[in-house]
Amino acid sequence: MSSLKELQDLIHEKYGIEPSKLDPHASMRETGGLDSLALAEFLFAIEDHFGITMPDEDASIDTLAELALLVDKVRAAKTA
Amino acid sequence: MNHEVAVTGLGVMAPHGGEPDTLFQALLQGRSAIQPVFPDLPKPAAAATAAFDETRWFTKLQLAGVDRVSQLAVAAADMAMRDAGLVIADTDPERVGVFAGCGMGGAAALEAAYRGNGRVSPLTIPAFMPNAPAAHVAMRQGVQGPVLTYSVACASSSAAIAEAAKAVQRGEVDVAIAGGSEALIVPGVVVAWQAMQTLATFQPGEAAGAVRPFATDRSGFALGEGAAFLILESAERARARGARRYATLAGWGLSSDATHLTKPDAPGQARALRAALRQAGLQPRDVGYCNAHGTATRIGDVVERNALADVWGDHLDALRVSSTKALHGHMLGAAGAIEALVTVLALHQRQLPPNANCREIDPDCSLNLVTPNESAAPSLEAAISNSFAFGGTNSVLLFRRA
Repeated sequence: MSSLKELQDLIHEKYGIEPSKLDPHASMRETGGLDSLALAEFLFAIEDHFGITMPDEDASIDTLAELALLVDKVRAAKTA
Repeated sequence: MNHEVAVTGLGVMAPHGGEPDTLFQALLQGRSAIQPVFPDLPKPAAAATAAFDETRWFTKLQLAGVDRVSQLAVAAADMAMRDAGLVIADTDPERVGVFAGCGMGGAAALEAAYRGNGRVSPLTIPAFMPNAPAAHVAMRQGVQGPVLTYSVACASSSAAIAEAAKAVQRGEVDVAIAGGSEALIVPGVVVAWQAMQTLATFQPGEAAGAVRPFATDRSGFALGEGAAFLILESAERARARGARRYATLAGWGLSSDATHLTKPDAPGQARALRAALRQAGLQPRDVGYCNAHGTATRIGDVVERNALADVWGDHLDALRVSSTKALHGHMLGAAGAIEALVTVLALHQRQLPPNANCREIDPDCSLNLVTPNESAAPSLEAAISNSFAFGGTNSVLLFRRA
């Protein structure tokens, strides 16, 4: 189960960024124009979309692929 | 040397739309933008909201953390710059300033924080801060000179325009983007204003005519939202680049009542009126139109009339007066700017917007009110716009034909 596709769709819906424009392995801050504050706000959209609660501490996440991994982990923990 | 201050651009995003001329025509026709809002509130509420497509100015990503109060400001300021035919690339960005009025800041951001069930957007503070609109205008236009916010309640953007005019007059900036924005039509703010007992009451179906300045049956104002900006530059500079000059900002008067936080004071208002006349070198009889503060509160309209009567004396009847708040609502921090814009257009087109909804004038407010069918003012040479704030600060702007 990977959340990557859904996250790409969510970013497109919320910020109008095409999936092809944001390399999952590139820095979202540097290449996507999503600064840390916009990212923090994006976490709300993720929580709403997946019905999960994201952990607070992960300020180190920089790429969409890393974010997708974390979302996968939280979703797996929820269903377990 | 003192420069003459020219108005060379107008921009608006308000209840009557995003074009100065559309707004002015709607006012001339007496069309009210006030309508019922928030039917779930315990007491009926009415306001004038702006139909605004923010996607014309922002991508979805850019909208993150940008409150409506800043969105409206960016749009109105951008249109004012275009109207003036100005781009920052042709000017020295360090010699351009933003002078913006804002009474409250991002009300919607704060309301969302209260109502978020503990989950608060990390962008609430930068969205809410009252200087955010000025900062967003500066970022959008590339302005690197003074970028300042004036928060003086209902006189915020009038005071901002006066301060901008000083900077242009003294040659501190070449171009000033001056005006203001306000967007506080959210339930939490509306109920607070209802509690203040200054909002107009109305029967179901009669919201549009609820605000009746200077009328015997007046009961207060309705809130409005929007933004308006004027471009100010020296008359020499405007002439040199062949810019259209809508009007000259010839005088401004700032005074304080120093008596009471919310009760208006005729002597304080009269001091601001006299200061504006003195600076412009004009006599009361030279001024043919007053866009009144006219909030339609029981006490406010009488006090304003008394201040005008004190300064105009025997010439009071020659001064034609209207309060356009009856139609666009009280835009608080943006009120001074939109009313200055209306005053400039009245002067430029020599047409006066009517004082709407006044079937019977209160004898205590006896003024020469503009009636709906008498908008022509063929010999108009100068006009004033009054803004009198909670806190006791009074600001009067005096415009002359260019």
